[in-house]
Amino acid sequence: MQPADLEAALRPKLGDRLLTVEPFARTAGRVRFRRDGALDLFRTMRDDLAYRHLSMVGAIDWVDHREVFYVLWSDERTEYVLLSADVPADDARIETASGVWPSANWHEREAWEMVDVLFDHHPDLRHLLTPDGYAFHPLLRSFKLHEPEELEVKTRHV
Amino acid sequence: MSEMWINMGPQHPMTHGLWNLRVKIDGEMILDVDPEMGYLHRGIEKISEDRHYNEVVTLMDRCCYVAGFAWEHLYILASEGALHIQPPERAEYLRVLCDEFQRIGSHIMWYAAFVQDLGLMSPFLYGMRDRDLVLDLFQSYTGARMTYEYMRVGGVRSDLPPGFTDRARQVLDWLTQRYEEYDQLCLGSTIFRKRCDDLGTLKAADCVAHGVTGPMLRAAGMKRDLRRDRPYAVYPQLDFDVAVADGADVTARYLVRMEELRQSVRILRQVVDWLDRHPGPVMAEQLPRWLGAPYAPVGAEGYLLKRNFPKGVGFSSVEEPHGEAQAYVVNEGGEHPYRVKFRSPVFANISAARQYLVGYHVADIPPIMGSVDVCVGEVDR
Repeated sequence: MQPADLEAALRPKLGDRLLTVEPFARTAGRVRFRRDGALDLFRTMRDDLAYRHLSMVGAIDWVDHREVFYVLWSDERTEYVLLSADVPADDARIETASGVWPSANWHEREAWEMVDVLFDHHPDLRHLLTPDGYAFHPLLRSFKLHEPEELEVKTRHV
Repeated sequence: MSEMWINMGPQHPMTHGLWNLRVKIDGEMILDVDPEMGYLHRGIEKISEDRHYNEVVTLMDRCCYVAGFAWEHLYILASEGALHIQPPERAEYLRVLCDEFQRIGSHIMWYAAFVQDLGLMSPFLYGMRDRDLVLDLFQSYTGARMTYEYMRVGGVRSDLPPGFTDRARQVLDWLTQRYEEYDQLCLGSTIFRKRCDDLGTLKAADCVAHGVTGPMLRAAGMKRDLRRDRPYAVYPQLDFDVAVADGADVTARYLVRMEELRQSVRILRQVVDWLDRHPGPVMAEQLPRWLGAPYAPVGAEGYLLKRNFPKGVGFSSVEEPHGEAQAYVVNEGGEHPYRVKFRSPVFANISAARQYLVGYHVADIPPIMGSVDVCVGEVDR
């Protein structure tokens, strides 16, 4: 599938909530979308375009905004596609994909604790790799590697 | 009897690493599970933002201690994509040599640990004995048995020592005979079959929904293997079959891994023959100079070139022994990656634990989790 085909398939469903579809190496393309179109896009990708496998969800801190990206795989087409949405840094939230692909659950937990992006309606948004009550988001650019941080770690189960 | 939560881990013979499986039980029945990860989290993605491109390779070995080469290859592919560098063909064959021997090492390690979970001690010793031969080979050309630091952006660190290919062929011959023994010990054992048949079933549709990949997915009858579906390196030139089984249970996962061991031997014979016939360079010639001199003092000539560094994003995926691993490397023009994100196959496979554990008994947990092939180093990163 070429980026133009992707755009032709997605534009009628999403309208201007679909921003661009650009070529991306080793994938069918990168779909940039507005975050209010997230759920519609996820459902279209899974149901109409047969991207039934969500490989990973990640987030990037660009300081002035944050980017959430998704990697999907289709067994029918043996092809990857990337989705990407920008969210403002002072209101970093987006709809969860775990209702569409259950595999998003843990990836979103990780993205939330590491890059501080909130996933609305996530069924189980708890810390995954860092301890409960850990107040820092290590993969933000503002988190300095060479400076010690003080924290109080709560035990999980008493 | 009332319901209660018990902890299996972080120190438990079943875990094979540092993690905690919380299990909600009623008597012997499993009602719910909640895997807790993070005990081994070292912040590899964060540290990578502070390391030179070639220095990250060192961290990749620590991602998974039984599949270091696969992770090196994954990261190198993504970096080369971001930097627009093409390695020479011999380096690609050497990487496949590493990958496939690593797959054998990893699967034999899995076999040894898995059957020990079932209480069978002898196969464990046989497995460790045979895996050592593979590690000896690694040591002969990388100098290390586990943390190799062998692959480089643009190629590999060094060529093979004299006589390597003959030694490799001897090891492959030996392994081929041993695989028969493995099967006799397990598939020929009534105890093994009674313990593993129809256990931990996870159908293909559930695998896909929950992101499960690798031998677990192929054991459910789905023929997905990135070496065939999205080939990288020189896999298109090599002849091999994708191992599948259709039981979707613990026995099927065993069968898939055993077949993959045989297919890896088949691939390796072709690779070794090719390497014998085609000497050549193992590093790309047209590299930015600073890539070759990561420790040059700041201000040295090589360092000035970093300004010409192309911006870009690299994405790669490889069929790691545990499943489908992915890397996403963002480069913003500095000497360090701006952001590195990895997908660990075991991360996804464990996140589906509720799907293949609930409904079975507590005593079934070690064989089921054993059949998942857990490597905590790459889950926590």
